[in-house]
Amino acid sequence: MSNSQTESSLPTLAHTLDQFEDCMDLSHREFPNLGVHAVYLNTLISGAKLQNEVFKPLHDLEPDQLTTLFQQSQFEKQTDDKALILGILSGKAAVFAEEQVYLIDVRGAEGRAITNSEIETTITGPHDALTEQVSLSLMLIRARIRSTHLKIVKLSVGEITKNDVYILYIKDIANMDNVQELKQRISDIEIDAVHDTNMLIQLIDDRPYALFPQILTTERPDAVVSKLVAGRVVGIMDGSPSAFSVPSTFYEFFSSSDDYYQRWMLGTATRMLRFFALIVTVSLTALYVSVTTFHYEMIPENLLMTLVESRSRVPFPPLYEALLMEMTIELLREAGARLPTKIGQTIGIVGGIVIGQAAVQAGFTSNILIIAVALSTIASFVIPNYTMSASIRLMRFGFILLAGLWGNLGIAIGITATTIHLCSLISMKASYVTPIAPNQPYEWRDVFIRAPFNLLKKRPTQSRPMNMTRVKPKR
Amino acid sequence: MSTLQSSEKLSPYHIVILVYMTQFGVIIFSLPQLLSKAFGTNGWVMNLIFAIIVIVNMLLIGAAYWMGKGKSIFVILERAMPRIMLYPLYLFLMFVWSVLGCLVAKEYVLIFQMIAFPTTHPMFFKIALDLLVFWLMIQGIYNISKSITMLFYLTIWMLPVVCFFYADFSWSRLTPFFFREGQPSPVEFVNIFASYLGYELILMVFPYTDKKSKLIKSSIIGSLLLAFIYTYLCIITFGFFSLRQLQRMAFPLLDLMAYIKFPFIERVENLFFGAFLFTTVATVVMYLWSAQETALQVFKRANVKLVAGVLVIFAYVIAFIPDTLSDVQHWLGLFAQLEIGIAFILPLLLVVVLAFTKNKKEAAS
Repeated sequence: MSNSQTESSLPTLAHTLDQFEDCMDLSHREFPNLGVHAVYLNTLISGAKLQNEVFKPLHDLEPDQLTTLFQQSQFEKQTDDKALILGILSGKAAVFAEEQVYLIDVRGAEGRAITNSEIETTITGPHDALTEQVSLSLMLIRARIRSTHLKIVKLSVGEITKNDVYILYIKDIANMDNVQELKQRISDIEIDAVHDTNMLIQLIDDRPYALFPQILTTERPDAVVSKLVAGRVVGIMDGSPSAFSVPSTFYEFFSSSDDYYQRWMLGTATRMLRFFALIVTVSLTALYVSVTTFHYEMIPENLLMTLVESRSRVPFPPLYEALLMEMTIELLREAGARLPTKIGQTIGIVGGIVIGQAAVQAGFTSNILIIAVALSTIASFVIPNYTMSASIRLMRFGFILLAGLWGNLGIAIGITATTIHLCSLISMKASYVTPIAPNQPYEWRDVFIRAPFNLLKKRPTQSRPMNMTRVKPKR
Repeated sequence: MSTLQSSEKLSPYHIVILVYMTQFGVIIFSLPQLLSKAFGTNGWVMNLIFAIIVIVNMLLIGAAYWMGKGKSIFVILERAMPRIMLYPLYLFLMFVWSVLGCLVAKEYVLIFQMIAFPTTHPMFFKIALDLLVFWLMIQGIYNISKSITMLFYLTIWMLPVVCFFYADFSWSRLTPFFFREGQPSPVEFVNIFASYLGYELILMVFPYTDKKSKLIKSSIIGSLLLAFIYTYLCIITFGFFSLRQLQRMAFPLLDLMAYIKFPFIERVENLFFGAFLFTTVATVVMYLWSAQETALQVFKRANVKLVAGVLVIFAYVIAFIPDTLSDVQHWLGLFAQLEIGIAFILPLLLVVVLAFTKNKKEAAS
């Protein structure tokens, strides 16, 4: 960055124009009868707002009425050159008059409309999702929490991009140490640009080399609200449709808003299904490799015949066979994710039917492995958080390799290593595996099951809320 | 609260699980055989006697804990005598604990090799196990206890599986006689008591506890939980196999598990034995961590990771010497004798030192 941007001085029109030299989107409008100049970036402002807030009032004005006009609250007096430039860059119009400078907020609200969340869909409950435009996202949250206790603090990240980051918390519930810690971590970031919330969280988490995401992100405003009332601190970045909440636990990544919108028994069953999906994702293909490589005695006689028959034409050891299929599935998934939806469906058909069936008929792989791989891939998609699901899928390859090397012992080694890794993680200085360690049995009812609301009286201890007790339902 | 800080003290719940998991080990697979051989009919009753011995020992450790007001055993000892005089004791403790850790790990890999990988060299498996142990032990006792708690939940689910044997359990096999046809000997006694060892390592966690930790009470509960599970499993085994069968089997519990059949999987002892890696890691890591804590008293300025690395490599090299399972079990018996000595003499020494320093203080005042 140039020195002129780092050293502040009194703002002048010439200096401002000099700073924006060769910026074709800068507009400079002069009112000669008033001696007033307006400077703004026409790509960021709303024409109507500019007309109503700046041009119209100036148009009908006599020179001696200028002082009265600038006393109106929308004219924000600026004495700092750096702040003025930043204001213009944020979509404000700068008005130079009588050796004074004023900023007027005329930001345009162009952007994607509020739509459904693509990656966190629910069957019941609200369907709106946060958007890239932070004012809309904040509106969605503010509209859901009608309390003056909802506080929103603005920070900035990126030495060049200077993106706005908003920290949200509920006063008297959230722990202020967490708020301070988060502010500090965001202020300490030194990087040219941050493009998305998912990038931001990697710059502020406790263990940057860890496999698992330590900070939960969500696109759902209702999920954001639930995190806020649980005493967590939420962050939203301008230009990103995701919000993050801290501190987070490993188990939070397995819960979905839907759990709370359905009857508690259904919510509980679904949550248990997700933990079962975790076990299946991690171990099913690995178990196939382990059993077919080292522990054939574990297969009952009837099943053994089927398995031997299906594997009889396969020329590879089970480890290669499994890795080949897992890689194919990952290729299909990645191709499907990068292509437009219509072509993505074709990929699904080509992959699922043609490759799957053809691979078996060609003797490349066994039927049973196809079932195992398909089941474990489907199970991985049951995990509601995409980042967590991707981390677990990557971990699965490690388990398959270990199973191919040491059989069941390899799987046990994988589980132990994962456990040690998980227990060494912390999120905003709090244990990642709460409520198991440290043990908080009360909270199990909102982690492994979803108990009825009248039994969920306390907020999670991990966020160390100022007020532990939720408002109790009357029944 | 759940904030992780270096000053974090262990909670009673974590101590219960830490003690239980440190004590629990693969010896359970042969425990019914050891009991039937040494004590004959209804040998499982001896579990209760062993539990009482453990509790007495624990109360002795408690006396040192209460008198020393939770201070580290090294602080207590170094107040009473010059450090240089304590070095031989420290080196001895380091040696015994690291060798015990190494033997427990070697026994596990040898049994696994025997049941599933007869052609693979066991030291190949031990590399993986030792790497896990190294990774865990450098993280400090608080993270160790967190990991052990998680590993506890990964093993405890196996207990309900024992219900499968209710149908074939017969009270008549237990016989109305007690301790007939056994050949008790001090060596057998020590070998069986070895299955209860591990509780004495709470001596090393004194400085990581406070009043809220209720160290001794929690440790006794942990040991009682272990005694209960050992007794339960032994009763089931004594009621499933006849005495003669039991006396001849090397690993009765493993054979017992081989009977479990599901429609889609059988011979699950293989899978269960894999899960015993969790308890083995817990035991080994606690022994090596204790050795590491002692080593750090001798080499005060040493890097923790370096000390841990050296100890793990030492344990790995030592593990080459006992070649067969019977060698390992023989060594385990010898080192268990030393460890029993440590379990009783070390707290006794601490109590004497504390009483002596207290008298000295009173006289001075």
